[in-house]
Amino acid sequence: MSLVLVKSVSPTKKTFTYLSRSAPYGSNRAQVCLDAALATAVFEQIVNYVFLDDGVYQLLKEQNADKIFTKTIGNAMETLELYGIQNIFIEENSLRERNLSIDDLAIKVKILSNKKLAELIDSSDSVINL
Amino acid sequence: MIFSVVIYSAPYTSESAANALRFSQAVVDNGHQIYRLFFFSDGVHNANKLAITPQDEQNLQVTWDSFIRSNKLDSVVCVSSALKRGIIGADEARNHDLDSQSLQASSNISGLGQLVDAHMKSDRVISFG
Amino acid sequence: MSTLHTISKPPSSGLLNSCLTGVSENDALLFIEDGVYHGSKFSPDLETPHYLTLFSLEEDVMARGLNQSTLSNINIINYNDFVDLCVRYDKVVNWF
Repeated sequence: MSLVLVKSVSPTKKTFTYLSRSAPYGSNRAQVCLDAALATAVFEQIVNYVFLDDGVYQLLKEQNADKIFTKTIGNAMETLELYGIQNIFIEENSLRERNLSIDDLAIKVKILSNKKLAELIDSSDSVINL
Repeated sequence: MIFSVVIYSAPYTSESAANALRFSQAVVDNGHQIYRLFFFSDGVHNANKLAITPQDEQNLQVTWDSFIRSNKLDSVVCVSSALKRGIIGADEARNHDLDSQSLQASSNISGLGQLVDAHMKSDRVISFG
Repeated sequence: MSTLHTISKPPSSGLLNSCLTGVSENDALLFIEDGVYHGSKFSPDLETPHYLTLFSLEEDVMARGLNQSTLSNINIINYNDFVDLCVRYDKVVNWF
């Protein structure tokens, strides 16, 4: 899959890269990361959203957190696209180390290699890492 | 250079809240500017004015408050994090019919837009969590 | 561009590995808080990335009973240096 790394073109637009590294329900970090990214999209900044490490568990299909009295993160992921965030990535090794494949995931994401992750971080103005 | 500092952690539970303050002090001491402090998630507890600490322990909330006042800083507490953790300003107390408030007057309650704005207007944003 | 990465959790967190997936050649690592056990002779993983410049925060090193002789290939710096590093690198990414 080809990957275009988006850089800031206008001085008023900055590139924000979100690294969402935490499993969905054990802490509020997944939700906090998502909320911040959505706010960034509202400000019409360029947003990259990367699932890394245990963050990839946020994307598993068929989550239902009703019984633990929490919003189901898997459903909330669709809001990324609703807010116009199109650069949604999953880091390759994180996926592989957990025996996951793209078919196990609730939303469509692009696979990001190590090298591309480093490039994405390098070319961003701000990196928010949770 | 213009800095903003984001604090995700509660005082006393994690040392990073105190380190955020130490770092912010060093930013100011080195002649740089702080555009905004943003207290997010459990970090909002740093703006609680009702905390009492034993005499031999530093009251981090009070230390933040005097640091913010003496440097006339813009200090924002995230609204969605704050209200559910009982960090309540005068307006919220009135709107929700509560009989007390807990927010240090040196901080303001506002939305996540202030975090995004801090990233847009600062040369460096440093997060502690 | 160059990035200063801070790591504030101990070696068992796996944070160093995560961070290393995202570093570029001009980057540097700064260990703070429990991150300062990285690179110490008391750490379960002695391997630290030699291709990057490594720093540890003095206050956190001293607090934990570590010192230069227990830390190899690591530059020990104070809070003023921390601020200087933030200026010297184009951006800061905090791993916690």
